[in-house]
Amino acid sequence: MDINFSKEDLAFRQEVKDFLANKYPKHVKEKQEKGISLTKQDMIDWHKSLYEQGWAGYNWPVEYGGTGWSPIQIYIFQNELAHAQCPTILPFGLNMVGPVIYTFGSQEQKDKYLPDILQFNTWWCQGYSEPGSGSDLASLKTKAVKEGDYYIVNGSKTWTTLAQNADWIFCLVRTETTQKKQEGISFLLIDMKTPGIEVKPIITIDGDHEVNSVFFTDVKVPVENLIGEEGQGWTYAKFLLMHERFGIAGVPNQIFSLKKLKEITKGRIDDDLQREIAEYEIELNALEFTELRSLAALANGSHPGAESSILKIKGTELQQWLTDIYVRSAGQYILPYEGPDGFDSNSVPSGPEYSHTAVSRYLNFRKTSIYGGSNEIQKNIIAKAILGV
Amino acid sequence: MNLNYSDEQLMLQEQIAKFCSADYSFDKREKIIANSLGHSIEIWNQFAELGWLALPFSEKNGGLDFGPIELSILFEEFGKALVVEPYLSTVVMSGYLLDNSSVDSSALIEEIISGTTHVSTAYVEANSGYDYLNPQTQILNGKLNGNKSIVLNAKHAKYFIVSASDNSEMLIALVAADAAGVSFNSFRTFDGQTCGDVSFENVDISENAILFKGDEAIAALNEMINYATLCVSAEAVGCMSETVKKTVEYTKERQQFGVPISSFQVLQHRMVEMFMEAEISKSLLIKSMLQLNSKDPNALKTLSSLKAQIGKSGKFVGQEAVQLHGGMGVSNEMSIGHYLKRLTAIDSQFGNRSYHIKKFMHL
Ligand SMILES: Cc1cc2nc3c(=O)[nH]c(=O)nc-3n(C[C@H](O)[C@H](O)[C@H](O)COP(=O)(O)OP(=O)(O)OC[C@H]3O[C@@H](n4cnc5c(N)ncnc54)[C@H](O)[C@@H]3O)c2cc1C
Repeated sequence: MDINFSKEDLAFRQEVKDFLANKYPKHVKEKQEKGISLTKQDMIDWHKSLYEQGWAGYNWPVEYGGTGWSPIQIYIFQNELAHAQCPTILPFGLNMVGPVIYTFGSQEQKDKYLPDILQFNTWWCQGYSEPGSGSDLASLKTKAVKEGDYYIVNGSKTWTTLAQNADWIFCLVRTETTQKKQEGISFLLIDMKTPGIEVKPIITIDGDHEVNSVFFTDVKVPVENLIGEEGQGWTYAKFLLMHERFGIAGVPNQIFSLKKLKEITKGRIDDDLQREIAEYEIELNALEFTELRSLAALANGSHPGAESSILKIKGTELQQWLTDIYVRSAGQYILPYEGPDGFDSNSVPSGPEYSHTAVSRYLNFRKTSIYGGSNEIQKNIIAKAILGV
Repeated sequence: MNLNYSDEQLMLQEQIAKFCSADYSFDKREKIIANSLGHSIEIWNQFAELGWLALPFSEKNGGLDFGPIELSILFEEFGKALVVEPYLSTVVMSGYLLDNSSVDSSALIEEIISGTTHVSTAYVEANSGYDYLNPQTQILNGKLNGNKSIVLNAKHAKYFIVSASDNSEMLIALVAADAAGVSFNSFRTFDGQTCGDVSFENVDISENAILFKGDEAIAALNEMINYATLCVSAEAVGCMSETVKKTVEYTKERQQFGVPISSFQVLQHRMVEMFMEAEISKSLLIKSMLQLNSKDPNALKTLSSLKAQIGKSGKFVGQEAVQLHGGMGVSNEMSIGHYLKRLTAIDSQFGNRSYHIKKFMHL
């Protein structure tokens, strides 16, 4: 055991720092530092800069155009990005459908989709949840009926993140009604431009438009868009969920946010606030090392397992706690609301600057214990898979 | 000891509850918030007709002379329906100061009671935090200068009641919103209300515009904040009980894995905890309103314990309700997330949990 980074790791970290200093798009950097929301084009520019550096597939194997980095390198990379206040790397293509395609897809599918995912020529969204199927995902009802060379898709998906920007959606659909509900599910890639797809916004309590309902009416999807085998979608979905949960702890961003909070509250005499920040920091350290332990296990060749549920639960609890500390340290100045129909930059309310985004973040982060498999469902998984009860 | 509401109080409660369920549905509330005013003139006129705008004023000023118990009843019902009308700022806060000043304000109070006029109290400043007794705003040589923050309902106020100092003592003055040198910026608040920053630049203040001076000013401001604290705490209690009710209803209806999610024991226990938090908060509310009503020497300590408890319980109940609703909990179309917003806002107003714990320790 050795708690220090190796020489190679340190050199790698310098390489990431150099990239961020020189090639991280200036206009994105500026907006991020000022807390201005990014446009779709900004997000594309950001991802393209990673691609040009050869780093878009930061967690992909080399044979598919990835970096082949070790888990520790990925960890260093993510940390540096968070410290430079980079936007998130959108997971839908790179962390979700990409790995499914290179693991379970045909050669044609790999050739067709993977390059565009890496280059961010296509924006993907995830069509799993339905109005009647959230935690009980396997009960999903969106139907795909094979007719000649096409599947005819009917049904609706909900809570689809950023579907309004998406070119493609990967969906779980029911191709067969089976005794065991998991067995009739298939994994289908659908072009969002196909006739019969309608996207409707859902506004969340922070006032943002981040999620959508997606309706499918007689949507014709070529059979070659099926991943793997018909009826095996659940297996692929479970594989993907493991990837989705990994990294959901958001440790690097929390370390950065904590640093900022300490700057903001420096010199304040409310000792109970300082004490709470310390309590939070202790738990964050514990979480960070829990993540490092599972990264080490990954490096030794094990697959992300139920341990990722620990990271998901603890990570989201801590994220939510941190946003709550921000809110409480801003006191009454949180009240003016900076939303789509709130104030604009010409008339910023008085009070500390960080107070204006504190509540939006707090409200937005309520989602983290709900999505990606709710924390209650994660606990069920840990109880079953780890405790064996 | 008698912990039962009187018949009159029960009638008042029933009247308010009836009004809120018939005339203040969640959909209607959303429409009220969406219009440019941010509150409803029609509803405000109904409040006037029902006599609610007269509740806390003394009889000599045309009021009903109701105290902490009736105000708590009103606000608890308002909390259940998430009422956004500016009752707190105009009637409770400004109303208290006008009603208790030695300067005769009966004409203005009459306007408030009739529903035609709003008055907002400007006592928070950008750097004041929760310490309201040392305003930077000044009144010197009959001129008012300074900036106030988080002035509730600033946009509709015909008058502002402003805390200031003349370098030796605190003053509380009444200022017309259209007086030369007064300007403001109005904002929506995240919980569906409005507030503003108000600036005063060389505004003329005549001697009879000074409502309170010195120790009286300090006492009046403190008392006003105590009343407001009780009101929002009662509102929070209403928010909580409604949140618990709505969550239980939702989990009984929502099916996953072929059963209502209310059948999962882990969720049952969470709802039981929510319910208990709401109940213990209500207990402290009752204790607090009764002590304030009887001018008990421990009333302020109890009030701080109430506000501190509300901060903890309100957050717990609001957050758990959202969680138990799953994705629906974070959808703005559902009412449940709006209860969390109001509960979060309430903790931030008039001293948050941490502030009141300290106050409790020192009282
Ligand atoms: C902001 C946001 C973005 C999202 N983005 C996407 C996306 O891009 N694509 C996508 O497909 N989905 C997305 N989701 C959906 C998300 O995955 C679901 O919300 C989640 O699976 C929960 O489902 P539900 O909302 O139907 O809640 P429900 O399943 O109805 O759950 C309600 C409550 O019951 C609890 N519960 C349910 N079953 C059990 C049980 N067996 N034991 C104990 N407790 C239980 C839950 O934990 C929750 O607290 C998103 C959701 C949100 C909020």
